Amino acid sequence: MVWYEAGGLLLGCICAGMALGIPVAFTFMLTNIVGIFMFSGGWPVLPQIADNATALITSFTLSPVPMFILMGSLFFHTGLAIKVFDALDKLLGKIPGRLCFLTVIGGSLFSTLTGSTMANTAMLGSLLVPEMTRRGYSKKMSMGPILGTGGLAMIIPPSSLGVLLASIAQVDVGRLLIAGVLPGFLLATIYAGMISFQLWRHPESAPSYEVEETSLQEKLYQIGVNILPMGLVVFMVIGFIVLGWATPSESASFGVIGVVVLAMARRALTWVAFKTSLIGTIRVAGMVFFILMNSTVFSQLLSMSGASRGLVNWATGFEVPAIVILAAMFLVLIMLGMFMDQVSMMLITVPIFYPLAGQLGYDLIWFSLIVLMSLEMSATTPPFGLLLYIMMGMVKGTTLIEVALAAMPFLFCDLILVIILVIFPGVALYLPNLMGGG
Amino acid sequence: MLQSFDKLLGKAEMALAWFACALIPCMFIMITVDVSIRSFGMRPPLFTSSVVEYALLYLAMCSAPWLVRERGHVVIEALVAILPDAVRRPLAKLVYLVCGLASFLFAYLCWGIFWAYVVGGELDVRGIDMPYWLQFLPLPLCFLLVGLEFMMYLAGVRSYYSYDLGEVKDGV
Repeated sequence: MVWYEAGGLLLGCICAGMALGIPVAFTFMLTNIVGIFMFSGGWPVLPQIADNATALITSFTLSPVPMFILMGSLFFHTGLAIKVFDALDKLLGKIPGRLCFLTVIGGSLFSTLTGSTMANTAMLGSLLVPEMTRRGYSKKMSMGPILGTGGLAMIIPPSSLGVLLASIAQVDVGRLLIAGVLPGFLLATIYAGMISFQLWRHPESAPSYEVEETSLQEKLYQIGVNILPMGLVVFMVIGFIVLGWATPSESASFGVIGVVVLAMARRALTWVAFKTSLIGTIRVAGMVFFILMNSTVFSQLLSMSGASRGLVNWATGFEVPAIVILAAMFLVLIMLGMFMDQVSMMLITVPIFYPLAGQLGYDLIWFSLIVLMSLEMSATTPPFGLLLYIMMGMVKGTTLIEVALAAMPFLFCDLILVIILVIFPGVALYLPNLMGGG
Repeated sequence: MLQSFDKLLGKAEMALAWFACALIPCMFIMITVDVSIRSFGMRPPLFTSSVVEYALLYLAMCSAPWLVRERGHVVIEALVAILPDAVRRPLAKLVYLVCGLASFLFAYLCWGIFWAYVVGGELDVRGIDMPYWLQFLPLPLCFLLVGLEFMMYLAGVRSYYSYDLGEVKDGV
């Protein structure tokens, strides 16, 4: 079978399975069975699927995934998140569109503490949308910044998806996480610029309102009690990696310990909160890991059937600049994101895109960041971007078109960052290069 | 009869899910202790990475049957949701049957591998040598439970899809 037939069959099975409503993990499982019969030895080789499925999952580099999820869960269920938000609210004072800026600052901070896009969007949405609606903000101004900022968690470390991508693509987890720092905060700045621009054009979309004056003493208290301790948790995760005190896998555990200690110190750690956080963690980590187990063999089949190599040779055989192929990969990810969740997208595209990017001479850390940005954008792309639906769940009576229109300016900001990364790869690679070893 | 069996199945799955939950604190405590020992210039235990690696597999497998019951395995409903009832209901039954049979097949295959490793006594060389059968210990049972759970869906005890449950449809 020629490579495009083999690739078409395998990818076709995956797409058909997903379209028919088969759970994603089981779609991979069934495709693997078909693939073994088509490209390998059939029945005698079948146990190999089960044997290989355990290989990727028993990898220490995946251990930060449940840790980061637990960290975020604990942060929410113990109420520490609300306390930080209240503190930021008091610090911001009276500025036009203050709740929009509160979203960007709070969202950036939450991103460094949760690592989960969905949790971030849900948290910001449930906290801020009712307040923005009460203050007369337009739907566009209330939902847009939340949709944009919610996605920051995908690139600002600790990013659960970042760890997953690094593990699947076999790139250095620590370097990828650190590579997201500058672009993440740059994106937050671009969002703030976009909000200012929108406020300048439509000042009535975020009316000013009287804010209770906060004394300097109160502000210092809020910084000391609610914000700085969070900095300690961030330091335990990111600082430990940068300083080389712990690997990313290890620093994630310190992050959990940091949140637990902080919650205990604030008398916020209850048994119910801990239990709820654990259940929430296995709900996400268990689902992701089960998909990963089943997708490992799929990647091997793509390679074994010659589809990966054939596609790489075909794509690099064109007399087109590498940037055109990069743009094509970016578009494929955005298109897939309209119909698929991020984990499935990664599993399908990584075995094809990474060899191609390597062949084109791209730095794989930089490329991973572009992939993460595409994944972030795809989560806000209609008609099936997951974050759009989370937002629709938060704001009752909103249509998909309204949510999608609110997200558009922030998708444009994402695109600006991607262009900046393409023109100035140093924005992504400066910090990882400081770490050395790569 | 079916309801009592379903109840029993639910309890077994919940027990496994709690076991998966319990693994997480064990993992972060072990890792933290390991790094702390290393930071004090002492030699950390050799088993930490091996045990954590196996715990990740146990976490994935032990939570899988409960996730099927809780409809926690991600599914794309956007396309099937637009199909007429007369098509999507038999299609859903077919999906339950195929997923259930594939899970039973994996339970059978994993049992074979597990038993071969028990008999062969092979070792998985990691931080410390682990008996290979330990890696496959949860697989036959968990895949069996996953298969049984899909059979419960097939029997009509519940539905996996939000359109059947009157929930808001979403993309994923």
